[in-house]
Amino acid sequence: MEEEEYGTEYEGGEGGEQYTSMQGDGAPASAQGGSLFRSEEMALCQLFLQSEAAYGCVSELGELGLVQFRDLNPETNAFQRKFVNEVRRCDEMERKLRFLEKEIKKDGIPMMETGEPPEAPQPREMIDLEATFEKLENELREVNQNAEALKKNFLELTELKHILRKTQQFFDEQESLEQGGPGGQHQQLIQDEGGAGGGLQLGFVAGVILRERLPAFEKMLWRACRGNVFLRVAEIEDPLEDPHTGDEVLKSVFVIFFQGEQLKSRVKKICEGFRATLYPCPDQATDRREMAVGVMQRLEDLNTVLGQTNDHRHRVLAAAAKNIKVWFIKVRKIKAIYHTLNFFNLDTSQKCLIAECWIPRLDMEAIQLALRRGTESSGSTIAPILNEMQTTESPPTFFRTNKFTNAFQALINAYGVASYREMNPAVYTIITFPFLFAVMFGDAGHGTIAFLFAFWCIVKEKQLIARNSDNEIWNYFFSGRYLIALMGIFSIYTGLIYNDVFSKSLNLFGSSWQVNMDLKDIIREKAVMLDPALRQGHNVSGYHGTPYPFGVDPVWQISINKIVFLNSFKMKISVILGVIHMLFGIFISFLNNKYFQKSANIICEFIPQILFLSFMFGYMALLMFHKWTAFVAGGFDKDPLTTERCAPSILITFINMVLMNDNEKDSPECEEYMYAGQWGIQRLLLIIAVSCIPWMLFAKPFVQKREAASKPDQPFDFSEVMILQGIHTIEYALGTISHTASYLRLWALSLAHAQLSEVLWVMVLRKGLQMSHWAGGIFLFVIFAAWASLTVGILCLMEGLSAFLHTLRLHWVEFQSKFYSGQGYLFQPFSFDTILKQAENSD
Amino acid sequence: MKEMMYYNINDGYPESIVRGYRRSLLTSSQYGTLTQSETLDDIKLQLSATDYGNFLQNEPPPLTTGVIADRLTERLVSEFNYLRRNSVDPLSKFLEYVTYQYFIDNVILLISGTLHERDPADLLHKAHPLGVFESMPALSVASNVQELYNIVLVETPLADYFRGCLTGHDLDEMNIEVIRNTLHKAYLEDFYDFCVNDLGGTTGVVMKELLEFEADRRIINITINSFGTELSKEDRLRLYPRCGKLSRESPAKLSAMNDIDAVKAVCDNYGEYQHLFRDMNRSERTLEDRFFEQEVRLNLLSFHQQFHYGIYYSWLKLKEQEIRNIVWISECIQQQQKERISDFVPTL
Repeated sequence: MEEEEYGTEYEGGEGGEQYTSMQGDGAPASAQGGSLFRSEEMALCQLFLQSEAAYGCVSELGELGLVQFRDLNPETNAFQRKFVNEVRRCDEMERKLRFLEKEIKKDGIPMMETGEPPEAPQPREMIDLEATFEKLENELREVNQNAEALKKNFLELTELKHILRKTQQFFDEQESLEQGGPGGQHQQLIQDEGGAGGGLQLGFVAGVILRERLPAFEKMLWRACRGNVFLRVAEIEDPLEDPHTGDEVLKSVFVIFFQGEQLKSRVKKICEGFRATLYPCPDQATDRREMAVGVMQRLEDLNTVLGQTNDHRHRVLAAAAKNIKVWFIKVRKIKAIYHTLNFFNLDTSQKCLIAECWIPRLDMEAIQLALRRGTESSGSTIAPILNEMQTTESPPTFFRTNKFTNAFQALINAYGVASYREMNPAVYTIITFPFLFAVMFGDAGHGTIAFLFAFWCIVKEKQLIARNSDNEIWNYFFSGRYLIALMGIFSIYTGLIYNDVFSKSLNLFGSSWQVNMDLKDIIREKAVMLDPALRQGHNVSGYHGTPYPFGVDPVWQISINKIVFLNSFKMKISVILGVIHMLFGIFISFLNNKYFQKSANIICEFIPQILFLSFMFGYMALLMFHKWTAFVAGGFDKDPLTTERCAPSILITFINMVLMNDNEKDSPECEEYMYAGQWGIQRLLLIIAVSCIPWMLFAKPFVQKREAASKPDQPFDFSEVMILQGIHTIEYALGTISHTASYLRLWALSLAHAQLSEVLWVMVLRKGLQMSHWAGGIFLFVIFAAWASLTVGILCLMEGLSAFLHTLRLHWVEFQSKFYSGQGYLFQPFSFDTILKQAENSD
Repeated sequence: MKEMMYYNINDGYPESIVRGYRRSLLTSSQYGTLTQSETLDDIKLQLSATDYGNFLQNEPPPLTTGVIADRLTERLVSEFNYLRRNSVDPLSKFLEYVTYQYFIDNVILLISGTLHERDPADLLHKAHPLGVFESMPALSVASNVQELYNIVLVETPLADYFRGCLTGHDLDEMNIEVIRNTLHKAYLEDFYDFCVNDLGGTTGVVMKELLEFEADRRIINITINSFGTELSKEDRLRLYPRCGKLSRESPAKLSAMNDIDAVKAVCDNYGEYQHLFRDMNRSERTLEDRFFEQEVRLNLLSFHQQFHYGIYYSWLKLKEQEIRNIVWISECIQQQQKERISDFVPTL
């Protein structure tokens, strides 16, 4: 990866921020390192192209993929545009290629993959391509026709062969009847009916019918001939090939015996109706035998001819298979170019095409170069002209993402595409998203699994992309591989902080707590209480003075008040993180307003907003830090005011502050307040925070009203502005409370995750560890499999998904609502890459 | 209330599909661009911008109206069959009823085709795919009405409808026409009974309107077509479906319709049929077109109601009209008759 630094120079923007661009596969070829902090500056340009050079220029721009053309004739019908004939010719070529492709696939010939996609061919090459395809298609159709005729012949002969073979036994039976063989019952019947004693001559027809039609056929025969025909059926075991469609079909041989001409014509009509094919079948056994020999002979001949035809077909297709992918790309490129040219206007002299397009400012040079190349390749002497136009239209939003930033940008775009040049939350999301996820998913073991999966995806990236899977679920995971990797790494970190590895703790540095008791006492007691106050000496149970250097002390893992301890910690952390996250969001709104020079918004919205949040919940977060540092078990230097007994509940303190109640002492030796002057400061903060609400509500509408008064020609509806501002204010004030509470989901999900993984350990894996002997080994083997699959399935996948969605919500709702408008539309440049990819996916 | 609570249990999915299908009917602006086409290839290009998408993309040139019509019908059939596969009783029964009209048309097509000694394979190709049944190929075996019933139709759902025709003897031109109308009459009455009495509810209300119109159209058409034929008054009365609005008129009044003015006089009593005969001589619209227009209007109305099956019937009718329109436009282009290209009945 190549690194390059790019200092942003927005007037008054975040001048000091530096940006590291990582150029990967996803970035367009000429990316010069735009900034991700804001979408790129775009220019609406008018492009004058000489008619002869237009094709070449557009082709070069398509390779570059950095220009979005606007349709200048939206009113014109598709078929009234200038290059509709060319587009149609391309459609026709595509149809031929699809036909070829279908035939190639039918024969199972592998199609050669293209290495480098070929450039768009010159327009004059189109005729050659057309001729080639035409020739191929005709040749193939001819071969197919021949093959079909041969196959039809072959099918008929095969059917005849089967008829001769199968009917043999029917006739044998008949003969045995006529000769008065055994089976007296049959004989009896015939004699009774005919009375002529074996002299009864039955007519018959033999044929072949599709097996699924047989029941209806039989019923119809019975009904139409009133039961006066005799049908014998035998199945043809091997499926036969339908010469027209090439499908394999199952058929049956039948022979119908009847008497009289009238019945014969009726039977034949029915056969015709049911598409049964009738074959001549001689009366005499010897004739049949002779015919069978003849048929076999002809079948053999046909087989050789068929083989030759197939060889020929195979040769034609194999030759086509080598080039078909390249042809597809060429045709699609030509079509895309003409389709784009149809967007252009002709100038009055008809010598020049006029296009309008959005261009990223940074790529102006690359585009000029591409245009020059296009002009040269088409042999034109007049250089194209690129003029910037003035417009009031909002330009498209363009971020140059790479394979790493892509997933993060996609998360943001899923909510709404950033308005032009507004701050892009995706940049911060790269860190905050995995971090907030990890707060909920905090388990080093599960984090490792997630990371290893993502790491494998990243290492095998090239092969996996080449596999081009169309499995949606897999593609979701794969496209988020960098995101998952970061989430995994962060989860390992938070897991170590929580000291949770598959719900077990690591005792890496030695616990700071020690138990100094007799074995007897330990066995007798169900639980032992360790005094958190600092004790010196070797023979005491309790806290040792130096805290565990990193994360939560492993001793908590086996304590019965583990959850109580961790809840207090995680709850506070959640609120602190939430307040920081939201304050940051409001700060970004400041950057936005500053960039767009909306100083009224800064004074009327940003300042009261940040005051409101920081004086209420920001202050509460500060109190938490104060509580952590000012109170300790046993008190600092035995000062009774700093003992755990005097540490007040932050929640109660905060509620009292808002309701303006006085604090009460926790116990007689304590004081009401945590620090001197707390009462006064809290009143002051509250008054300022509450006064922020009318500030937010009224300031901006009145500023706007004054501005509107100076411009009387523009319509201004004060009540509408007021209502809108009222909605914003209510949303913000209530949102501050509900959003802060919303961050408690960090704690809730983290608790749920830890508990669930503990349950899984206790209820499943521990059972496997309790059995001794060799049987225990086998049992553990089975139990481990169950535990492992539940860990991956429930804890990593389901819990991971749930934590992911909660993180997404925290970003979309709690964070982005503070500054993000998301009203933009995406920049969709004319790019061959995208067009070819789309075409391939739709196949 | 009951309909509202239970409708979506079984019929929610097909309803959403059929309402989606209805949204994809061509709009007037799409018709507008279609009529500006110069060649059939233009039509193909235009249709590819509609919901039809690339349904003609694998057709080798030259494109003909026949191919377009075939593909359009294929599309209709596959959509209808999708609905059928996703329906359960009573909707499946309802949809089956809808297909009987194609049944009847196919039977008549094959009989008259056989009478004129047409190629059976060709006839089968022409039969509407929604009305194909198993024993259909054997229709050509029958040489009189009795046989037709005993051999072919006795096991089909049409058997009941056919009993009314058993009196006829030979299969000649006139008799076939009578058989066709008797079958349609019996079918309409049966379908009407099924919708209004068995299904009832909103379906009954909506379908009553639609089927009454269908019946009245038959009555008027039979009457007008019978002028100057051997068909007696009594026979004519017997062919009238009994479920139309006009059928409530007295038989005397109905049989008195001897010329077009008499028909007009009867129809003038009905607000919705008055316009059918207005300015008959001056305007270029034929009676058939006027009926189609009225039908489209009625069918569009049924989409305004919720929780009923009429939308399936209506969608099918509208789609058929759309296919007729596209084929008409294509024909006009193919035959260079562009001055008449706008004489179709828009479906929206």
